[in-house]
Amino acid sequence: MERYKISHAGRERFSLVVVGLVILLLIFGLVKLQLFGHSEFLKQSENNRIRVVPIVPRRGVVYDREGRVIIDNRPSYTISVVPAEEVKGRTLPNLARLIGLDTLEIRKRIKKNMVSRYQPTPVKKDIPFEIVAVLEEQNRDFPGVSYQMERVRQYPVGMGTEAFTGYVGEVSEEQLAKNRMYNYRLGSMIGKEGLEKYYDNVLRGKEGTAYIEVSATGQILGPYEGRGKIEAIPGADLNLTIDLDLQRTGVEEIDTFCCGAIVAIDPRSGEILAMLSYPNYDANIFSSVIPESLWVAISNDVSHPLLNRPINGLYPPGSTTKLLTVGAGMEEGIINESTTFKPCLGGMQFGNRFFHCWYANGHGRLTAAHAIEQSCDVYMYQLGLKMGVDVLSRYFGQSGFGHVTGLDLPNESAGLNPNSDYYDTRYGKKKWTQTLVLNNAIGQGEILSTPLQLAQFFCGVVNNGLVYRPHIVKKITRPDGEVISVSPVVSFRLPFTDETLALLCEGIRLVVEGERGTARSLRNKYYSVGGKTGTSQNPHGDEHSWFVGVAPLENPEIVVCAIVENAGHGSEVAAPLVGKVIRTYMNKKRMPEDLARISSAGKP
Amino acid sequence: MLDYRQIDWKLIAAALALSLIGIVLIFSAQYYADSDYLQSYYLRQLIWLFVALVVFTAIVHLPFRIFDLSAYLLYFVVLILLVLVLVIGTSRGGAARWFSFGPINLAPSDMAKLALVLALSRFFAYTKLPVVSKRRLALSGLMTLVPVMLILKQPDLGTSLVFFVILFALWFWSGLSPWYLILLLSPLLSLVTASHWLSWAIYFVVLLSFLTFLKPGVVNSTVVVIFNLAFGIITPFIWNRLAEYQRLRIKTFFDPGMDPRGAGYQIIQSKIAIGSGGILGKGFLNGSQSRLDFLPERHTDFIFSVIGEEFGLWGALVVIFLFGFILYRSIRIAARCRNRFASMVVMGAAAILLFQFVINIGMTLGFMPVTGLPLPFISYGGTSLVLSWALIGLIISADYRWQEY
Repeated sequence: MERYKISHAGRERFSLVVVGLVILLLIFGLVKLQLFGHSEFLKQSENNRIRVVPIVPRRGVVYDREGRVIIDNRPSYTISVVPAEEVKGRTLPNLARLIGLDTLEIRKRIKKNMVSRYQPTPVKKDIPFEIVAVLEEQNRDFPGVSYQMERVRQYPVGMGTEAFTGYVGEVSEEQLAKNRMYNYRLGSMIGKEGLEKYYDNVLRGKEGTAYIEVSATGQILGPYEGRGKIEAIPGADLNLTIDLDLQRTGVEEIDTFCCGAIVAIDPRSGEILAMLSYPNYDANIFSSVIPESLWVAISNDVSHPLLNRPINGLYPPGSTTKLLTVGAGMEEGIINESTTFKPCLGGMQFGNRFFHCWYANGHGRLTAAHAIEQSCDVYMYQLGLKMGVDVLSRYFGQSGFGHVTGLDLPNESAGLNPNSDYYDTRYGKKKWTQTLVLNNAIGQGEILSTPLQLAQFFCGVVNNGLVYRPHIVKKITRPDGEVISVSPVVSFRLPFTDETLALLCEGIRLVVEGERGTARSLRNKYYSVGGKTGTSQNPHGDEHSWFVGVAPLENPEIVVCAIVENAGHGSEVAAPLVGKVIRTYMNKKRMPEDLARISSAGKP
Repeated sequence: MLDYRQIDWKLIAAALALSLIGIVLIFSAQYYADSDYLQSYYLRQLIWLFVALVVFTAIVHLPFRIFDLSAYLLYFVVLILLVLVLVIGTSRGGAARWFSFGPINLAPSDMAKLALVLALSRFFAYTKLPVVSKRRLALSGLMTLVPVMLILKQPDLGTSLVFFVILFALWFWSGLSPWYLILLLSPLLSLVTASHWLSWAIYFVVLLSFLTFLKPGVVNSTVVVIFNLAFGIITPFIWNRLAEYQRLRIKTFFDPGMDPRGAGYQIIQSKIAIGSGGILGKGFLNGSQSRLDFLPERHTDFIFSVIGEEFGLWGALVVIFLFGFILYRSIRIAARCRNRFASMVVMGAAAILLFQFVINIGMTLGFMPVTGLPLPFISYGGTSLVLSWALIGLIISADYRWQEY
């Protein structure tokens, strides 16, 4: 049994050794953490308490060509509750009365949005300023309630500006995953359509970073002094080529009809003066959370309010491209200014089919300019037959049809310019006949154009064949004061000689000023107007009404193209509409500047 | 009156230094707290320190014989208190229980530690049973098990472990070889290692070679091996019968990292606090971990993390050095005491201090399980402070009277 015992001295020695070993163990543990683990643990303790918070920059403001605000940022207030600071029986009932929600609903939203009991949890977005004022004044009645301000885009309502402004929205997760967008994070606002999308990089500015200190419970203690914050750089402001007065006239005139589009361009530079799509929508709603019901309603609307007609609406150009048919005939040497064809008797027989002219009484024998003036179909049929599908198609292509114009807006449509290859694939080789050229010669059939392409073509015709690229931004003003002016760029040249162009211009003039012109109603004693009517057949309903107008004829400054869907003849609907827009433009020009300001201030 | 030149002032100075460091740390730990109540913890601790010093002085002035005579009486009183606290005590969060007297909470489990030290010391000092006898082991074991069973009902695993530590320390100090104690403990080791067949196999190789080396005789060896086998076989059987949450609780006891939101969170934050302190520390009141609430229980169980964060390695070493000094002195005193009872008491007191010291600091460093044992002298808490000073009082008193039989 002795070996189970320990001597007196042995006990003391053993005890001291145990104490010594324990102390060594603890020192080893300390050194491991404080000497070898120091830098890693220091980093962790910093990460523990510092939250990186983005500072959202002010998005650039957008002005029209005269400096009037189109897109602005307005403050939007969100009411939040800090659950930990809520007082039972006081906070929620008082808040419910103030914002008109019942307490159960508020409780539900808090539960849904809560991140931490110590962080403000959003309850209601975009509350009016009066409620914020009440909160400020009577904050003792609302323990734990706070509000946060953020900037929200504000778009004009009912000005048809959605056609070019587009709208913003939160970056979606798929967008972030698909594209490598280093400058965006989940929740960032990004342009979804229109110039908001095209100029997103310019408008958005650069996010700043703030470092704040938080406690373990998520309570925000204030800025962290150890690291300076990086200020946000605001976005650049844009000055557009748009004139809000023209925009307003266009909306006022078009809103008696169902659907349509207007594009006004300065042919000397390609500046887009007005652009609208009708029916329009409220971009403000699209920039916040869209209620499901509204989304369904808009998606199912047969008038397609979301179709951006000026650049995405595809229509047969109708008689407006008779100019092009005549121009091609001149260039091909088939006609000159005095060439005539068989007289128009209200139509013509081709093969076993009778092709009608829109004027059943017949136009008789016409020269080219008068054929344009009176929009004679029979003249164009005969001219088209002499050229054939491909020759005409070549001229269409060289005049910009079937190609995007390249304006500074996203998702522009190219339209359709059919030729033999197209028909071969569509109908099969030899399964189609030259009859198709009859349609193309009067702008019907498969050929499809956007209103913008058509306006662009007319710009070239009245600008000595030079087509400037249509654009919507005139000037970019960076926050540091640097100004980038967008200079006009020649996009292409129409395939017409000066002689041809002069003939086409004469045709345009006659449409308004000729005795039998189709748009005589636009004639006035103050300025000279030209243009071309069009009526494009629509297999789904009534004909679309086209008109492209030009003024003043001596030295054209504005080309206005309008289409009104299902509204009948161009001369009856689209032409007066274009006339009104041109009148607004010419009136503004004639008036002294200060007078113009007074007159526009009086309008709503 | 006492002859003050005979008193071990250095030992008292070390204990006082630790107590004052504790008050400074409690002040720092709650300096940024929301309420005045929390901020005033250090003042309450200061008052408790005065109470503790009064208790200490009283113990030093009393003749040591009184403790010897009253040991069993105290033991039974404490047992009654332990039963009472189960019936009428207040509990928080289902854990340890107190008696509440207005603002003062008394935990009888702390008193029980002291009572057990005295009772066992008396038993070992006067028993006529031979050192290596089964009755001696069984009786002293029973004296320990009774309060442990009552405390386990509370339930408080950490405190229960302290009682076994006292028992083992006094077994050892009454003459049992550590090897013998290891054989006694071996079934428990078998239980722990049996969680995996490989570790169990390795353990058995070690155990068998240990037996060959120690040669305890065929009968004893067979008993040890049978017990080890039994525990090892039962373990996986019981383990598989446990519910998932029970298994998880046991696993996180040994590996807190498995539960990063519960016990693991405390350990992780404590390691970050100590590690980020580095050599020099972040400075008084500058510890971000404790200031920003990342460190839980920072004025009680995790107060050592505050030292590590704010005063760095040197601050932590000062504390460890002071503890080492107290333990060194205590062992020397226990060894030279001529009175067997006094020697036992000093050893028992030293064992309590050593165990709580190493378990608590080891926990903040991340290599000991989270048990809820406070750091003696330093952690906030009146009873813990008074108990620590009562133990020092017994040590000082025994030292002063070391020549008495």
